[in-house]
Amino acid sequence: MVTNQTETAIQVPRAGRGRWLLLAAGLLLLGCIVLPWLRFVIIADQRVALSLTGQQAATIGAIETTDGGLLYRSSFWLFFAPLAGAVGLALGAINLLPGRSAPWHGLFAVLISVTASVAVWGAFAASQEIAQKQKVAVEAQLGLSVAFMALLLLLVGGLILLREASGQKPAFRAALDALNFMAPGSLLVIVFFFLPAIILFILSLTDLSSANFSEPWTYVGFDNYKRMFSDRFFPKILRNTFQYVILTLLFFNVGLALLLALLTAHVSRRVGFFFRLLWLLPRITPSVVYIVMWQRIAQQPPYGILNQILGLFGVENQPYWIPESPWVFVVLVNGFVGASFGMIIFTSAIEAIPADLIIAAKVDGAGNLALIRDITLPLLRWPLLFVVTYQTLSLLVSFEYILLLTNGGPGLFTTEVWALTAYKRALQTYFGSNQWAYGAAWGFVLVLIGAILSVTYLRVFRFNDLVQEPKIDVL
Amino acid sequence: MRVELNDLTKRWGNVTGADNISLDIQSGEFVAFLGPSGCGKTTTLLMVAGIYKPTAGEIRFDDRVVNQVPPKDRNIGMVFQSYALYPHMSVRQNIGYPLKLKKSPAAEMEQRVQRVADMMGIGHLLDRRPAQLSGGQQQRVALGRALVKEPSLLLFDEPLSNLDARLRLTMRSEIKRLQLDLGITSIYVTHDQVEAMTMADRIAVMQEGKLQAYAPPNELYERPRTTFIAGFVGNPPMNLFDVQLMREGDRYLAKRQGLEFELPPERGSRAAAKAEVTVGIRPEDITLLPDAAGSNEGSQGEVFVVEPLGRDNLVDVRFDDLHLFVLADPRQTLKIGDPVRLQFDGDKVQLFDPETEYSLLWT
Ligand SMILES: Nc1ncnc2c1ncn2[C@@H]1O[C@H](COP(=O)(O)OP(=O)(O)OP(=O)(O)O)[C@@H](O)[C@H]1O
Ligand SMILES: [Mg+2]
Repeated sequence: MVTNQTETAIQVPRAGRGRWLLLAAGLLLLGCIVLPWLRFVIIADQRVALSLTGQQAATIGAIETTDGGLLYRSSFWLFFAPLAGAVGLALGAINLLPGRSAPWHGLFAVLISVTASVAVWGAFAASQEIAQKQKVAVEAQLGLSVAFMALLLLLVGGLILLREASGQKPAFRAALDALNFMAPGSLLVIVFFFLPAIILFILSLTDLSSANFSEPWTYVGFDNYKRMFSDRFFPKILRNTFQYVILTLLFFNVGLALLLALLTAHVSRRVGFFFRLLWLLPRITPSVVYIVMWQRIAQQPPYGILNQILGLFGVENQPYWIPESPWVFVVLVNGFVGASFGMIIFTSAIEAIPADLIIAAKVDGAGNLALIRDITLPLLRWPLLFVVTYQTLSLLVSFEYILLLTNGGPGLFTTEVWALTAYKRALQTYFGSNQWAYGAAWGFVLVLIGAILSVTYLRVFRFNDLVQEPKIDVL
Repeated sequence: MRVELNDLTKRWGNVTGADNISLDIQSGEFVAFLGPSGCGKTTTLLMVAGIYKPTAGEIRFDDRVVNQVPPKDRNIGMVFQSYALYPHMSVRQNIGYPLKLKKSPAAEMEQRVQRVADMMGIGHLLDRRPAQLSGGQQQRVALGRALVKEPSLLLFDEPLSNLDARLRLTMRSEIKRLQLDLGITSIYVTHDQVEAMTMADRIAVMQEGKLQAYAPPNELYERPRTTFIAGFVGNPPMNLFDVQLMREGDRYLAKRQGLEFELPPERGSRAAAKAEVTVGIRPEDITLLPDAAGSNEGSQGEVFVVEPLGRDNLVDVRFDDLHLFVLADPRQTLKIGDPVRLQFDGDKVQLFDPETEYSLLWT
């Protein structure tokens, strides 16, 4: 009896209406972000498209431009709309089966499928008309917006249906609760990561380029990938990329960051703050200015600062250093910028270690080194995992400093990394021939590498072990 | 090991944490630092541990000045209110950590960890992480970790404050028993005076960074040297109030609006030079009598509040603007507003100088 009462007392109320609020909030949030984005996708003009990075260009690969007019190739969206319709219908059907249905479930699903169908029709009709007249972009926009909303409704409706249908299986229900809980976040990831990645992939299977963009593009299978892997410089670029990522990460983004954090955490607060601020300077300097500064440092005599200093020691007739040892500079330039991120994360993690732990370790007999080795570093495991993972991925796709510093040179592909290649193929070639589809192939493989690396990191660092058992059980 | 603090002072800018603390601790003695929050107990303890560098004064371990010795070379064990267990290490690793730092051989380490864990009754928990233990178990681990290297000095910083009342009682006697068995010199910081009274051989009472008294518990209790000590030591606290002192022949009368009682001559004479004194009397040294009209012995007041404490009732008796706390037999039925008379046990009355707040009876 007593036990019963306690249990009732501590039972957390079931999701109930809150779920709807959560979902509504997610939807609204999404609407605010998605609609402007859609608008951007639809009315983006050529100039905008050309100034975009590879991945963005790939995302809006659906844009086609004719003499200044705006056209939208709705095919990509049409790819999703029938899918929405199909799933909606299927859900509706399931709910019509005896023993499984509350009538409104079925109604809901049917509504979804109807909306989706309208969307398909709207988008399709619009695209047909676009092909003839160039003025109906507005209708296209409308149809496609509806299609998108339909997709979202479908997702929400599907989740609810599944939840209702799974009342008897607690494990399944728990999994769904988790899904519900993450819904707003997952939707963002889907819209801003999965969809662009899929579009990127589809684009990479075509021959879209500035040479043929006024004609309908054609599907060319994996030709772009074959071309990429058989590129004479492919091995070189691959090696460069790993060299760039590993060296910068090891020595700067993690190594130097950790060193700076440990040092600045062990001096007085004000001095530590000052030095951390100092190390943030490269980060907030505009990249062009920053690179020009490095070039000033490395110039040949009498201009270069480095050479002026060397001159003081009687070392004369030194060269312009950047082409001389380009890799040293590529790593230095990126590392000085990259170290600040880890430094800040590590510093706050170090400062969050309770003072009692440090005192206990000292009293237990730990000197400074033992303290760092046995207490500080193990407690920094999670921020370390985070910084390594995050920085690997951001280094993998970063190229702007290399572009500005060496542009992949000197000579052929000396410092050219993967992301730079993707950018150049898609958006920056001599003669203005942008091979959007080919660049997308490079970009997509990079996405795959990133995804595989993240999963590997999570495994290697045994992420699950780091997450403590929940102290609050799901009822 | 003997510990001696000489004029130990710690300042940060114009904040003073500990002010001229001087005391000595005999080998094997259990000393409690007692005082209200912020009085400098932790500060003093951390100086002894070597975490804070004293601004002035010296710390001696067995006549050796250790001011410059880093904590790792002081051979100290320490237990914290927050337990301060290393969250990423198992219980075994936690307890074994001091030995690991001493580079003890693995077999010996294993054996000693097991022995200490068994002694603490946590031998079966060695493979758990601290997060998987209850508060009491965590505190046992912390105690084990402090003991495993057989320190020559044990420091406790409010180790029981996070435990529930009953567990606190058990742990209290366990710590005391362990300390007696092992004979390790110990400093025990607490703001709970019951803990200090029951565990310590001597208590150092601190206030605002200064050492107020350093004496065995019963002496602090029976012969408080300042009003602060009188008010701080003992629960429920001593009643303190000002009275006019009258001398009638060889009788000493203490008078106050609505209150009058006689002091025994040997105590009263110590205060003879003062016209006004502060009287201190513990609630258990006052007897509550129902008001028998016409009697003018004792003083008359009215019951203001009755707090049942179980064994006793704590009665708040009001005399005009003065409230006195009295411990009364619960069988004595009292209602709010009842007129009562109080009888003071004159031999227990304390007298203080209202200006200096020092005792007129003890120096
Ligand atoms: N690092 C520090 N910097 C400046 N002032 C400090 C520092 N540590 C403590 N103090 C001050 O010194 C005084 C004594 O602090 P201490 O921690 O010794 O108190 P305590 O007696 O242990 O109190 P509690 O019972 O609350 O733990 C307090 O006024 C506190 O504000
Ligand atoms: Mg304290």
